[in-house]
Amino acid sequence: MIKPHSIVEIWVYLSGSPLIALFISLVAYQIGLWAYQKTKHNPLVNPVAIAVILVATFIELIDMPYDKYFQGAQFIHFLLGSATVALAIPIYRGIGSLKNRVIPLMGALFIGGAISIASGVGISTLLGADKSIIGAFYSKSVTAPIAMGIAERMGTSPTLTAIFAVCTGILGAILAPYVLNLLRIKPWWQRGFPIGVASHGIGASRAFSINAEAGTYASLAMGLHGITGSIAIPLIYKLFN
Amino acid sequence: MMLSGLIQILFFQSLGELISKLPLPSLPRPVIGLVLLLCWLMIKKEINPSLALVSEALSQYLGLLFVPAAVGVVLFLPQLKDNVFPIICGLIGSVVLTIGGSALALKLFNQGEASND
Repeated sequence: MIKPHSIVEIWVYLSGSPLIALFISLVAYQIGLWAYQKTKHNPLVNPVAIAVILVATFIELIDMPYDKYFQGAQFIHFLLGSATVALAIPIYRGIGSLKNRVIPLMGALFIGGAISIASGVGISTLLGADKSIIGAFYSKSVTAPIAMGIAERMGTSPTLTAIFAVCTGILGAILAPYVLNLLRIKPWWQRGFPIGVASHGIGASRAFSINAEAGTYASLAMGLHGITGSIAIPLIYKLFN
Repeated sequence: MMLSGLIQILFFQSLGELISKLPLPSLPRPVIGLVLLLCWLMIKKEINPSLALVSEALSQYLGLLFVPAAVGVVLFLPQLKDNVFPIICGLIGSVVLTIGGSALALKLFNQGEASND
């Protein structure tokens, strides 16, 4: 005869298995995506930000330590490496857009990448941020999956880096049109590329929603910044630490 | 159909893991896989449909994949609170300067290029 389980026993079983962590992560992200679509892709309603807030609140409520949550959710986390490798496909497709613009685009990428580090690290250092916070500023303009890999390599916090990268993406997506209008940048490719350099995938999806050419150049910038950043950022970090 | 694409991705990912054991510049391991796959695509000059399908599926939910790590922010809340002012100024200042700086650089380099023609 099967002994009937009490609700407490079921709960103990569930919270011990990876199932609950996987389930809440997927549900939270689905809610985030839904809200993002409902608001017609408003960059402020970012699905990752929503999912993180929901999951963090939920595990806090049920008193689940982060380690335990991550143990379950690591199955999702594992795919991050494969997804990073798969970024080769959009980069390959974007390379055609480099055409005869290699020199201006690569020049802008290197200058933008340098400004991103100098200004992020500079401002936070001047205002007296902790060392671990400053460390997370180095790769924040690189697309989050690669930025986390870079942070891991440098021994800075991948979590803070991911958070800063997402915030940078959101801010860039919102502020870019104002900055570009102020500087009177007109051609779409010249508007898209800087958005990708500064605010990676989130910026690129905003650029795509405004103009296809701007979006193509923004994602090209994101890909190139990911690859060159992986090489340059750890070296720059070593130089200053 | 998706299986062969997934195998190709995992193959290049594993190759990246292997190469990262060599004393090379400290690239993140998945980025080595990315670069290898990119080189392979440039040699072959085509993307097979299965690979395209898997890449599309992964990139569609890319945001979901860094949720587990980002939730770790709960461990940093007190520290973030203590540093809230430098963080906000750093993030906003840096993104504005980066967009502005790279846009101006692009414009200047492009003018230089054009006048050479």
